[in-house]
Amino acid sequence: MLSWSSTAAGTPADIGAIADDGREAGLPFSAELIAFAQAIGGWDDAALATARTALAAAAGEAFMVDAAAVVANFEMMTREADGTGARFAPATAGPRAAAAEQLGIQGFTSAR
Amino acid sequence: MEQRVRPDLAEAHALSLVHVASPGATLTAERRMQVGHVARAAYLDADPPPPWVRPFGDLTLDVGHRLARHAGTITQQWYEQILKEGMDALEWVEIVGVVVATVPVVAFARAIGSPIPVMAVFADGPPTGRIAHPLATATLNWVPVAAPADQVASVVQALSALPDEWSNLWRLASAQYMSDAQMADPLWNRGTLSRAQMELVAARISLVRECFF
Repeated sequence: MLSWSSTAAGTPADIGAIADDGREAGLPFSAELIAFAQAIGGWDDAALATARTALAAAAGEAFMVDAAAVVANFEMMTREADGTGARFAPATAGPRAAAAEQLGIQGFTSAR
Repeated sequence: MEQRVRPDLAEAHALSLVHVASPGATLTAERRMQVGHVARAAYLDADPPPPWVRPFGDLTLDVGHRLARHAGTITQQWYEQILKEGMDALEWVEIVGVVVATVPVVAFARAIGSPIPVMAVFADGPPTGRIAHPLATATLNWVPVAAPADQVASVVQALSALPDEWSNLWRLASAQYMSDAQMADPLWNRGTLSRAQMELVAARISLVRECFF
């Protein structure tokens, strides 16, 4: 989805940045966005406050709130997928497997 | 803090907590609230027990706990083990529905630095029995789904056996992320994050949660 949407926008993103903090996604505020999502996924409230403040300062409060909403959505969807054993349909499994290999996530328990 | 949240998003979150506190297809409202409280606490726990621990000695609550905190560790084998221990597959689906109705509301509030919402007061009453008919066995999910199976993506059909859980999830998704129709447009956005920026944070939190999907 990242590759598709960024290519459609004319600014193809480096999907390697999803898993590698040393890479630049090539999108505005990508470092702040990744730090915010990572902090939401952790349980260090001070680190989350720092990431929240940094994103809001860089991109604005409405931007930060909408980023939080997207993260909240995927806190939901990941549990829905993992709780119901969701699998990719055969037509999409191949391209997804290639992306998983690039990100190094083939070993996840949730890989089905 | 509340005024900076879009009204449609605030409404979807409020309705989701009311949904948790209402009778479900197989569980009473009181039982759903117990699952919701467990999910909320599990999500916020800075030092949770490991995934294989069942902290409550209660199938329903233990499944809710693992879904809220260690969903990426759940296997088909564990799902089938829980069913062998006596849980009905539709109760499992309902627990998933309650957890996914609770966690994003809590996660969002914590993310933006707002107070964590209190759970709604539950509405008394027996289970509604609202279950899709007929049901079907799916190949794209472990759980039973509304027939016909496997005609749509697995995440779309996942909760279809229980229409109220399905509706709540997709109402939340529309407010938090985008609707199905908007998803087809790679350039759609709300005027804040671009679509690509949305997908970047979605991918990172999915990675943190070790969700392959």
